[in-house]
Amino acid sequence: MSPVRRGEQLPIHNRIGVLRAERRMTRAQLAALIEVNPQTVGALERGDHYPSLDLAFRICDVFDLPVEAVFSRTAFTPLSAELYGRRAKGSIDDSSAD
Amino acid sequence: MTAPRTEPNILDRYQDYRTRRFLKNERRHAHSLPGWRSQARRRMLVVGLAVTFAFMLVVGILCALGLQWAPLLWLPACALFFPMWIALQIVSGRRGDAPEGALDEFEIAQRNSARSIGLTVTQYAMMIPIGYLIFGAVITDGADADMAYAGGLLALTVLIIGGCLPAMILGWTRTDPYPED
Repeated sequence: MSPVRRGEQLPIHNRIGVLRAERRMTRAQLAALIEVNPQTVGALERGDHYPSLDLAFRICDVFDLPVEAVFSRTAFTPLSAELYGRRAKGSIDDSSAD
Repeated sequence: MTAPRTEPNILDRYQDYRTRRFLKNERRHAHSLPGWRSQARRRMLVVGLAVTFAFMLVVGILCALGLQWAPLLWLPACALFFPMWIALQIVSGRRGDAPEGALDEFEIAQRNSARSIGLTVTQYAMMIPIGYLIFGAVITDGADADMAYAGGLLALTVLIIGGCLPAMILGWTRTDPYPED
């Protein structure tokens, strides 16, 4: 559900589920920290609800990450692929520079 | 959502009171009817209420037809309605008429959407008993007591349907929590 009244519906992807699993946090624990119902966390993870700016900042505070690390207009690639893919690309670049 | 004002006015204080009272009632019923809190059971209650409303409409029509015993059928309709309605309100956490302070933003969005549907249905459905009463009064010169009584019952039924619809929609659509929760 988007808070936008009119115009084209733009997606807001998020990494809440991944970040929560990474920290071994249940939905209920995250919900308690950001003061919402646990089912709202489920709705956020599924993309059924786009958070307000206030709620987005609360979520980012819990994970201690900037907004762009948790929310994005484009779909996120897996964190592992992003991290190791970048390293692999970096090492290829290093070897080609040699 | 608006930023909090510095000085709460009478409306804010009333909303705070409503929220406190709602949360107190919510705590009281938080563990009531645990077996009826699943989506499947909530949907059973919603279907039961829908059948009861259909029965209420039939009672109204029977009253319009002038059957002397028809008004007595309103009693079993009420006997069905009240337990199911109270049970649905308890198991769905009264999300349909909760004050904003007791809900998070997703719940507020869901509640507002369900209320909007409830209001629209009420507005259109009320045209039926209103039209029946207006045209019936003209045709019978306002002398038909059965028509007036039936019109009243139909209007009451439509109002109850409209009032219950938000809770029924939310009770029907709200998913079960994940096992992890």
